[in-house]
Amino acid sequence: MTLKVGDKLTPFVISPVTRESMREWAVFLHDPNPIHLDAEVVKAKGLGDREINQGPTNVAYIINMLHNNFPGGVIESLDSRFLDNVYADDTAEAFGAVTEAVAAGDRVRVTCDIGLRVAARGDVISGTAVILAPAN
Amino acid sequence: MDLPAPPDVAGTSLSGTEPYIISAEENRALCRTINAEPATDGSAHPIYYYIATQVGMGQTVAGLCEVCDFDVEVGPMMAGSKVTFAAPLMTDQPYLVEGEITSIVRKQSRKLGVMDLMAYELRLKKPDGTPVLTTVNSWVLPRRELA
Repeated sequence: MTLKVGDKLTPFVISPVTRESMREWAVFLHDPNPIHLDAEVVKAKGLGDREINQGPTNVAYIINMLHNNFPGGVIESLDSRFLDNVYADDTAEAFGAVTEAVAAGDRVRVTCDIGLRVAARGDVISGTAVILAPAN
Repeated sequence: MDLPAPPDVAGTSLSGTEPYIISAEENRALCRTINAEPATDGSAHPIYYYIATQVGMGQTVAGLCEVCDFDVEVGPMMAGSKVTFAAPLMTDQPYLVEGEITSIVRKQSRKLGVMDLMAYELRLKKPDGTPVLTTVNSWVLPRRELA
């Protein structure tokens, strides 16, 4: 692993977040909550004017970012705090930075601050992740 | 302002009764929706930590809200989700879910008014008892009727 403390991870970008994806995740999650499927319901609840992306989908973008930055690594833990919504047609960017790297046998245990942001509203998830990554 | 106590639901079991299996086909479909390459070693996308525990627990989302005396139509919101893995998730492997509601706290929020913050822990294991992961999720349940 060539990353070191203070390094920023390469972002993972989804552009745009699609309604078709939300319909598929409603099936994966067995959760037909209409705020993910019907913009009129979102408006009626005063939550915005477009469909709201499922929270776990937003976490999945962060996992993709970690996988891309640590090939061959495994996620040991992931802690996500939800700050705001991601809406249909948003561009979402998962990001992170290394805060600690400790040797663990022939591997290295890397702690990262992680998050997800959208251009219009800033950070929508913040948190931390620990990855056990190959040393080289 | 004195708020009425939240429902006394801490300790309520959320253990599932049926095994949950991540199908390889669904894993491929999920990966396609998030622009990820499915793994070639049989492992599932790690976001199945959330899906497998939510679908495999003994309550639907609506049912869990009902346990908390909350109408799902009002709209629960995710506040946080933490997972600790003991092993990777694999496709076509049966998993069982155990867990319970761990806390519910009523509070006044400047943004949301009166709300309950409910947390629950779910543990995913193989049928032989081998632990795979532990997740703790927290939801905000707005209680606008108490504002």
